[in-house]
Amino acid sequence: MRNTGLTLAAAGSAPAISAPFVSSAMAQAKTLTIVQWSHFVPEYDKWFDNFAKDWGSKNNIAVTVDHIPVANVAARAAAEASAQSGHDLFGWNGSGGAHLYKKFLVDVTDLVESTQKKYGKVSTIGRQIGYNLEDKSWTAFPDFYINFPSMYRKSMWDEIGMKPDTWDNVRIGGAKLKAKGHPVGISLGHSNDPNTTWRGVLWAFGGAVQDETGKKVVLNSKETVEAVKFVSALYKEAMTPEVLSWDDSSNNRYLVSGVGSMIINPISAYRTFQKANKKGADDTFVMAPPKGPARQIMGGAIEYYGIWKFAKNKEGALEFLKYYADHWPEAFKASEGYNNPCFANLVPKPMPLLSDDPTSTPRDKLSILQDSEGWSASPGYPGPSWPAVDEVYNDFVICDMMAKAATGQMSAEDSVKWATQQCEAIYKKWLEKA
Amino acid sequence: MAVIAEPIAKPVSRFQLFLDRREVLEMFLVAPAIIYVLLLVGLPLLLAVYYSLSTYTVYDPSWRFVGLRNFWDILQNPTFTQTLLNTFIFTFGSQLLGLVLGKFGAFLLLRPFPGRKIVRALIVLPFVIPVALATIAWRWLFDSLYSVFNWTLIALGILERADAPNWLGTPWLAMLCVIIINAWRFFPFAIVIFLAGITAVPQDVIDAATVDGAGFWRRNYQIILPMILPIMAIGLIFGIVFTFTDLSIVFLLTQGGPVGATSVLAFAGFKTGIESGDVAHGAAMSLFMLPVLLIVVVFMLRFIRRREI
Repeated sequence: MRNTGLTLAAAGSAPAISAPFVSSAMAQAKTLTIVQWSHFVPEYDKWFDNFAKDWGSKNNIAVTVDHIPVANVAARAAAEASAQSGHDLFGWNGSGGAHLYKKFLVDVTDLVESTQKKYGKVSTIGRQIGYNLEDKSWTAFPDFYINFPSMYRKSMWDEIGMKPDTWDNVRIGGAKLKAKGHPVGISLGHSNDPNTTWRGVLWAFGGAVQDETGKKVVLNSKETVEAVKFVSALYKEAMTPEVLSWDDSSNNRYLVSGVGSMIINPISAYRTFQKANKKGADDTFVMAPPKGPARQIMGGAIEYYGIWKFAKNKEGALEFLKYYADHWPEAFKASEGYNNPCFANLVPKPMPLLSDDPTSTPRDKLSILQDSEGWSASPGYPGPSWPAVDEVYNDFVICDMMAKAATGQMSAEDSVKWATQQCEAIYKKWLEKA
Repeated sequence: MAVIAEPIAKPVSRFQLFLDRREVLEMFLVAPAIIYVLLLVGLPLLLAVYYSLSTYTVYDPSWRFVGLRNFWDILQNPTFTQTLLNTFIFTFGSQLLGLVLGKFGAFLLLRPFPGRKIVRALIVLPFVIPVALATIAWRWLFDSLYSVFNWTLIALGILERADAPNWLGTPWLAMLCVIIINAWRFFPFAIVIFLAGITAVPQDVIDAATVDGAGFWRRNYQIILPMILPIMAIGLIFGIVFTFTDLSIVFLLTQGGPVGATSVLAFAGFKTGIESGDVAHGAAMSLFMLPVLLIVVVFMLRFIRRREI
């Protein structure tokens, strides 16, 4: 704490020391700095930058928006928190952040509550990331979540007279299509997509890493073993070993190449396909994730904003978020339907683009995504997200549990035991610190 | 008789007196380097030790002494022992490959041929290209669907698509890939070291050996190599230290996959300490490098000193 105190003292005294050298004009000029990931829909970034600058010019605030690669967000947050300096508004992507940095972030409970009054209740997936059960406060403002629907080549699946609507059908149909040169493509590598997808399969089979309280590891169960056995069979029968090396963009390329018959991915894959090959994209259909024996569910990635306590313009950051929430449908359109709202009525149904997309054939192809809130969950499901959940996620424990069994390195039972040991060690460590 | 006045000695400034003393001057000149090392290497190292003995996390940035418990915790984890082993394979594999490539590269560049200056300039490119750019290019070369290597082998009829290597998806091949990329980055440095060493070997020693009937291999392995061992060892120290502490290639190419096969200490320390915010365990993981590096450096420096005597 002494270190933090010294840093804070140094940071606090910096303006006083530099004050004589700063011109009065400069001192009066207000700035707002924002950092967030480089969006997979580049048009969204262009829209956001203009939107933020436009707000700045209306309020006489110079706004700077920095975009960083998605893989660098966690390290950037750590650097800013350690240095007690950086951007005013920090946009996190995916797992973790809000809880880990709770002591460094401004309480935004009032902002979330006023937004809820205006735009309806925040969704479960939004609550999992930003809400603190213990003190009923909000550490971060939920921006949007990214859903992971299933995308399949209709003509290929029609040819075998099947639909990938259940995990069993994905395996059985996938095996038939693999024989025809069109395997299923779900990554078993180390990146965000497999972290999200395989959690979805685990939950669909009734397994989970933790219980509802988030305090207990419940991974070692017969449901988990069944899920792992299923993934092993899916890998051997319907996929090829190349999935072991994939990053987040590989399955998009796999679909666009015309080889893959089905993937699980946000609709950026479909949008990329539309730009590369309209005919192939027209043949690609989007559906809710396959049903498992226990439930129909899939992992989702949450995006949220935190305001650092050391931010130079906390008030400006809060005002910007209020304004941003009021213009959220514009953000939704700019993201081509990729950014899904976290508040119930932020984008009223039928949602533009998703209910009737002029670029898609048929035009209602994406309409299933309007209800994705019902089948999307964040990594902590059925409990909250917290630092232990993040570490299990960052260490790719669930992906590796599936991959170890799929590649025959371990039996399903041993693989589950290995993953449980990893999770329990991580939970024990964090529970002592919580 | 003219009396010649004795020259009046100019008062010597204290600073000049200070500089006239050899041992003081030495200390004075070497001080910036020592201060630099203490500030930029010593302090972070002490900080890492300080964190590794505590429960310090980003979530709760308070310091509580726990002794060696963090080290004990990570040693209990079989994944960590795999990571430790991977680090050795990655470091020594890439150094060996880099040295072999460097040696042959140096021999090639010693011979005059048209365009040698351009080749010499181009050969340092792997050393100066930003690692992020280079690794992304390599990622494409090893891509599961569009690998240039596989495409060429298939186009030449050497392989069927179904038999093409899964470069980054097969554990041992993925390790080989990160080793190749690191060796590729390191070998220009090895060439420079070898060139400096070989050109310093007196020509008359080589000529005498040639007259005595020593062939190419004997000249190289019984005369040149023993004479350049000290400078080679210095290069190797740099190579081992930089590789042992490097996470960039693994981070950009494999994220430690597949199934943890390429996870190395620096990468694991980064994931735990920075991304997951468990600074204490992250620091403990990183400090596992210290005894290994210390042993390697001490051993090699002693070896160099003995050779010079």
